[in-house]
Amino acid sequence: MSVREATVVAGLVVTHLLLRIGFGLQDAAPDLMVLALLLASRFLSPGGGALLGFGLGLVEDAFSMLSFGASVFALTLVGTTGAQVRVLFVGRSLLFQSTYFFLGKSIRDLLAWLVSNPGSRDAFVDYVLIESPLAALYVVAAGVTVRHLFLKDPVRK
Amino acid sequence: MAGQPRTGRRQQRRDVHIVLGLVLLSLITINLPVQSQRAIGNALRESVLRPFIEVQLLVVRTRARARDYHTIRAQLDSALTFVASGTTLAEENRQLRGILALSERSPSRLLAASVIRSGTSGSSSVFQLNAGSAEGIEPFDAVVTELGLLGQVQEVGQVSSMGYDWSHPDFRVSAMTTDGQAHGLVEAERGEFREQDRLVLRGTAYLSNLQRGSEILTSGRGGAYPRGIRIGWVGEVAETSAGWDISYYIVPAVYPGTATYAAVHIGMPEDTLPMPLDTAAGLNVPGGSR
Repeated sequence: MSVREATVVAGLVVTHLLLRIGFGLQDAAPDLMVLALLLASRFLSPGGGALLGFGLGLVEDAFSMLSFGASVFALTLVGTTGAQVRVLFVGRSLLFQSTYFFLGKSIRDLLAWLVSNPGSRDAFVDYVLIESPLAALYVVAAGVTVRHLFLKDPVRK
Repeated sequence: MAGQPRTGRRQQRRDVHIVLGLVLLSLITINLPVQSQRAIGNALRESVLRPFIEVQLLVVRTRARARDYHTIRAQLDSALTFVASGTTLAEENRQLRGILALSERSPSRLLAASVIRSGTSGSSSVFQLNAGSAEGIEPFDAVVTELGLLGQVQEVGQVSSMGYDWSHPDFRVSAMTTDGQAHGLVEAERGEFREQDRLVLRGTAYLSNLQRGSEILTSGRGGAYPRGIRIGWVGEVAETSAGWDISYYIVPAVYPGTATYAAVHIGMPEDTLPMPLDTAAGLNVPGGSR
C-alpha cells in the first residue's frame, strides 16, 4: 500500500468518525468505515485485512451497549474477504468497483445482524432487505467518488 | 489468477493463522462479560474517540448559543412564574407534613450534562453524558430533560457516563397517573423501523379507563427512578387482556433524538420505594434512600 492509499484510507476513517460522532449525522453520512476497509484490504494480505477490520470494528463498537463485538466480527471477515478478492479479480472497472462496495457493505450488515443480540436487532426484512441495500448504494456512490478523486487507479468506464 | 501475484506458502499459512485467530477473538469479544465489554468501550471512548466526542460537544454548545433569544426569554419567564407559584405551595407542604408528622423529604440533586450520541453501528438508544463519578453520578441514576424522562445511566466513568434512553429494549419504569389512581409498568415497544418505537403502559387495571391525554409520571416503585417525573401522555389502547388488564400507548414527553442537554438525578428521594427483597411482601416495604 502506497502512502497515498494509506492517507486516503486513514482520511476516510477520520471523516467517518467526524461525521457520525463529531457532527452526529448518524445514517445521513455514508459508512466510510467499511469503505476504508474495502479499499485498504485490496492492498493488504488476508491477515492484514483481518487485523485492520478487527481494529476498526473495535472502534465502531465503542458506543455499542446492545451488541458489542458484532462490528468486530463483521469487519474482520469483510477485511479478510476483501484481501482474497484481489487474488481473483483485477477489479478496475466501474462495474466491479460498484459491485465490490455494494456486496462489502451488504455482507458487513448481514454478518453484524446475525451475531447481534436477538432482543435488540431490527427485523430481518426491514434491516437486511430494505435499510442495508440503501446504505450499500450510498457506500457505492461514496466509494466511486473517492476512487475517482483521490486514488491513482482511474475507474474504467 | 488475475490481479496480484501469489504469496509464498509460508506467508499464506501465516495469514490463515492470523485470520482464524482474529475471527476467534472477535467471537470471544461478542461473548465477553458485559463488564469487560464496557471496560473496552470506555477505554476506546476515553482515548481514540475522545477528540471526536469533544467536537460533538463543541457543535452542541454552538447550536445552543445560536438559539433564538426570544425562545430562551420565554422559557425563563415560564420558569420564574413556576417558581413564584411554588413558594406558597412549599410552605403549605411543610405545614401539612408537620400536621401528619411526616419527616422532611430529601430531594435529589440535579446535575446538568450534555448528551452525546454516536452515529456508529449498534449505538442506537445509547447516549453518553459528559459527567461521571467525579460529579457524583452513579449507575441507574435517572436522566431527565425539561420535558420529562429521557432514560437511565448504565455505566459510569471518571469524567463521562453512558446510559440508554426509553427506546432501549431493557427500559422499564413503574408509572402512575397524576392522581395516583392507576399504576402500571411503562416499557418500550419496537416499531417496524426505529422511528416507530413507542412506549406502552402495561398492567393497569382493566376498569382504570384512562382518558386520552392523561399525564403519566414515574411512581417511584422499585427504586430505579424518583417519583413524579413526567413520562408522557396516554394515547390509544394498545391491547386488553381478557378482562384482567389493559395496556395503553404512551405519547412520550421526550423524543430521544432531540435531547442535547439533560440533567441527572443524583440521590434518590426518601419517598421512593426500593425493590422489595421478598416480592410477596408487595408494597409494604419501608422507604429509604439509596
